[in-house]
This record gives sequence, structure tokens and C-alpha cells, in this order.
Amino acid sequence: MIEALFNQPNYLSAKKTLDAVALRQEAINNNLANLETPGYKRVDLAPSFEQQLERASSSNDAQQLSSLTPSLAVDTTAKSMSKDGNTVNLEQELTRMNQNAMTHSLETQMVSKMLAKLRLAIKGQ
Amino acid sequence: MIQILTGIRNTSAALDAEQVRLDVISQNIANAQTSKDVDGKPYQRKVVVFDTALQNAMSGTDANGNLPAIQVAKVERDNRPPVLQYDPGNPDADAHGFISMPNINIHEEMADLISASRTYEANLAVVKNARSMAMQTLSIGKS
Repeated sequence: MIEALFNQPNYLSAKKTLDAVALRQEAINNNLANLETPGYKRVDLAPSFEQQLERASSSNDAQQLSSLTPSLAVDTTAKSMSKDGNTVNLEQELTRMNQNAMTHSLETQMVSKMLAKLRLAIKGQ
Repeated sequence: MIQILTGIRNTSAALDAEQVRLDVISQNIANAQTSKDVDGKPYQRKVVVFDTALQNAMSGTDANGNLPAIQVAKVERDNRPPVLQYDPGNPDADAHGFISMPNINIHEEMADLISASRTYEANLAVVKNARSMAMQTLSIGKS
């Protein structure tokens, strides 16, 4: 593959965000699936990943961006509202799911448009 | 196999579990007046007990990297005593005219029913959402 075509920092950070969004969707799925499981602690993207992504994309560092991998972690800030120790809140989780879907829609469009731009540049019409 | 809808396995496990819960609640409501169950005693309320696969406290995943899924551990009997009702005309009434009725509180069942169907709906919303996200992902690069 021609590396230079797909190594622009913007494209990479959109791709990484898309990875993160997909993983976050999995975390939210799982939180909602375990809404009634006693003692379940909600999971989410590891907060360190977001900081790293932000730092890498603001410094436009392609290498740093491509080395990032999102991961999940138990959310230690969530408080349990019920006696069984479950930390999932239905409303919050649904809101996060919708936010996540919006981000996903934005990022897929970004990636699509970037590829379309590249195609335009190659074909010249 | 490729997982297009990531994490959908746990969602379907949750839908299954909630379905069992809904079944048990409807059974409880249907038997609210059953004074003689198959064993000859009044019907006893049944409760579903959920549990999950062991959760690693650090990463929230098991040894294979899967997130924990919900499952129905068991369906247990609620051991609260039967309710005594005064009904001397009933053929099953004792010498004092009392009859044992199931330990079911219909309001409690209705509240449980609503909670179970809300959870079911939330998981259905997840499936719809995952599907539309997958469709968007598949359309990347189409112009």
C-alpha cells in the first residue's frame, strides 16, 4: 500500500476515533445487558486513551496516532444507586449510546469524505 | 467469524434473560388465585435470580477478553408464608373457615413487569443502534 496516502494525521485520528467509538458501543451494549446483574460495575473506554488521542491529534504526530489502541476499563467514578451494587444507570447509558451513535455517524462521514477527496485528486475530475 | 455487530452476543443473552423474567412474572400473575398447586399446597411466588460470568476487577473482561454476560442462574421459590383468607364456603377451607392463598402481591408483580420490559426495550434499542452503526460503517467509501 502507498503509505503516504493513508498516513495523514487527520485521516488517522478519524480512524482511531472510529475504533474507539466501536469499542465504546460494545461497552455500552454490555452495560445495558447487565442492567439487572447484581454487583456489576459499568465499563467504558479507559480515560487514558482519550487523553492520548487528544495529545497525539493536537501534535499532528502520525506515528503516535497509529500506535494508539483503545481499551476498556471499569468505570471507578460511577456510583451505585441501588442496594445490589450495580453501577449502571439506564437513562445515562441510553444517552451515552445516542451520543456515541452521533459520533460514529460523524466519523464515518469524515472518513468517507476524505477518501472521496483522495479519489478526486487521483482521477482529477 | 467476523463480528459485524460487536458485543451483540451479550445483548441477546440479556434479551433471553429478561424474557425468562417476563415469563415468570406472568406465571405469578396468572396463578395469583391458585390455592391448590400441583403439590396440593397454594402456589408459591417464583423469582428469577440473575448472575454473571466472573468479572476481572481490573479490565472488566474474562480470560478470553470477553465482557461478562448476564444469565439466569435459577428460578427460585419465594418462601414468604401463604396469605390466610377467610372464606368458609370454599371446599378447601380449614375448620376455622380460613383458606391459604398464594403469597403474591399483584402490585409488586406489576412493578417488576414494568422494570423487566424497560430493560428489554433498552436492549432492543441497543440492537437497532448497533445495526444502524454497522450499516454506516459498511457504507464507508461509497460515494
